[in-house]
Amino acid sequence: MQKKRNLILLTLTLVMALLLSACTVAAPGAAPAAAPQQAPAEAAASVKIGLVTDVGRVNDRSFNQSAWEGVVQAAAALGLKEGDDYKYIETQDSKDYVDNIQQFVDAGFNVIVTVGFALGEATIAAAKENPDIYFIGIDQFQVEELPNLTGLVFHEDQSGFLAGALAAQLSKTGIIAAVLGTDLVPPVVAFGQGYELGAKYINPDIRLISTYHPGEISQAFTDPEWGAATAKQALDQGADVIFGAGGITGNGALQEVAAAPGAGVDVFCIGVDTDQWETLPAAHPCLVSSAMKLITPSVVELITMYGKDGTMTAGNYFGGAGLAPFHDFEDKIPQEVKDKLEEIAAALADGSLTTGYGQ
Amino acid sequence: MNASSLRRFGQVLLIPILAVFSALLVGAVIMWIFGDDPIAAYRGLWNGAFGSARAWSTTIRKMTPLILTGLSVAVAFKAGLFNIGASGQFIIGTVCSVAVGVNFEGLPAFIHLPLALLAGVAGGVLWGFIPGALKVFTGAHEVIVTIMLNYVASLFAAWTVYAGGTQGQTPGPLWDRTAGAISRTPEVFMSARLPWIFAEPYRIHWGVAIALAVALVMWWVIFKTTLGFSTRTVGANAKAARYAGINVRWITILTMMIAGGLAGLAGAIETLGLNHRFAPEFTGGVGFDGITVALLGQTNPIGVVLSAFLLGALDAGSARMQFDSGVAADIIQVIQALVLAFVAAPMIIRQIYRIRKPGDQVEATVFSSGWGR
Repeated sequence: MQKKRNLILLTLTLVMALLLSACTVAAPGAAPAAAPQQAPAEAAASVKIGLVTDVGRVNDRSFNQSAWEGVVQAAAALGLKEGDDYKYIETQDSKDYVDNIQQFVDAGFNVIVTVGFALGEATIAAAKENPDIYFIGIDQFQVEELPNLTGLVFHEDQSGFLAGALAAQLSKTGIIAAVLGTDLVPPVVAFGQGYELGAKYINPDIRLISTYHPGEISQAFTDPEWGAATAKQALDQGADVIFGAGGITGNGALQEVAAAPGAGVDVFCIGVDTDQWETLPAAHPCLVSSAMKLITPSVVELITMYGKDGTMTAGNYFGGAGLAPFHDFEDKIPQEVKDKLEEIAAALADGSLTTGYGQ
Repeated sequence: MNASSLRRFGQVLLIPILAVFSALLVGAVIMWIFGDDPIAAYRGLWNGAFGSARAWSTTIRKMTPLILTGLSVAVAFKAGLFNIGASGQFIIGTVCSVAVGVNFEGLPAFIHLPLALLAGVAGGVLWGFIPGALKVFTGAHEVIVTIMLNYVASLFAAWTVYAGGTQGQTPGPLWDRTAGAISRTPEVFMSARLPWIFAEPYRIHWGVAIALAVALVMWWVIFKTTLGFSTRTVGANAKAARYAGINVRWITILTMMIAGGLAGLAGAIETLGLNHRFAPEFTGGVGFDGITVALLGQTNPIGVVLSAFLLGALDAGSARMQFDSGVAADIIQVIQALVLAFVAAPMIIRQIYRIRKPGDQVEATVFSSGWGR
């Protein structure tokens, strides 16, 4: 009897182990337009594009995904075939950056896109070693110019500034909040500081509750529970506009606000990086806009330039940064708010207004 | 080697080999269920791990820290202790070795390098001493304490390299002043770096030789010295050990210190040999992998080297596998987890493959005496 029960227990354990592991791999299966299929080899095209993600998934609804969509669009325009002419590698660990880039080098790819500032050094080293390959490093500010490496960077402080200006004009309580990923990552700080400066530009007396995730880098962007709890605290303290900037952590904040009473009427939220209206439908009730980096069009532009006549942009290339469309809130946002935002955006663009970040 | 010892050797190897085989098989079934091609995936895995000189070098590079963190967990197991803290000890070892490596400019390499390595070991020893002492003097279970210390270690490490906020926060003491807003340490001086055995593009450093030598030394200590005998006795039966006049408290603390020192050395070697700096995105993941390595290696130092080689190969091949077959590299983590499950519960393997329980002398490996001792 005893023996039989043991056997059943063991079988159950085994089945559970299988189920658990099955859950783990379910995510990549759900990747939108992402699973590369081995297509039959055709005539070799002149451009082969490889993309190395930062640690995480290619369908992260953020950085990696925006960059990959840029590659896909550019490749479609150039008539390339996924799998043979363009593909991605998802990075598992920050120590693998060099090896993952090398996979594309060995396979003869001539455009390699690396996503995220953490890949900066690996990208520079690879670019020096392979002068014939064109590298695009997203969020990688280049101090030293290399002829075959473009650092695609953004004025995060400017789009943060616009988000802050929007928040300050929408707020009735005079209290706004920001739920931010770690201050160990510069672009997050730029977004956060820009947001504060923009809000104060509109209303110098505004009260700001900005909170950075206190954890280490590996948790800071993947902690939606903390994001939600922090947003809840801010709401309880009277904040009525909340800026969520920090990957999935920020998304947790947006979803919390979306579920709060008065969402879209009394309390609002602002997303980050991409137009989160498209990527996070759960935030629709409160999402007035997003502080964007226009990664996808910038990647398309850079690759298309190279695809046409082999142009490589040395040094830094500033991609667009600004606010996403208002979508369903288009009619609810007063015209004078929109006018003010356009005025600020124009002034930032022509340099007559600076955000004050980094000074 | 006579026939009976050969058979015993075979029996010791049987469970790990079947565990790996089963994990690969289940991994293939999972890939097949999700519409991927397991054969293409495993071919890519093989090529990425052993297909070329560069592939071999990646395998060796990945194996090196796993040997040491695997030894760290294995040594603790010998005394009946479950060291979940190799990850934190690894990180502290990293930070301490960097602290020495970025200071003391102008020291000759034959002083600077050993000093930096020793600093890493010392940091790990301290990080192992704390849970050992707390267990002995307060009864706090080492599993809980080491898990908590992992968090302390990684947050402490992040603080040391903190770039400082824009609101006037003080930057961390090891922060690279030339890095602007980026949180990281400067690179360690050349005199503190482990030299290459094979330089670019292979990037194999002398750390691998150190790790292998340490594994041999640990084998000798565990099986050929009084200290090792005492440790194993404490692990097998602490009460009997006390009755036999062994100082169980001292052995417990000392074992945790050795375990911590080994993981700290792993951190120092990874830093001084490969990364040359610390940044917050470097995690102590190899510390957790050390648990799998130790269990798969049956807590024997030689077994640890073999299983570190296997896990290193799995890690090394994953990029090529993903590249060739489009299978997400996560499947490697699933396979590693399955290996762990199968070796940690050898009864499952015995049931599946209908292996009789061997004589008790083979089964005498006591992994952990668990709770409530």
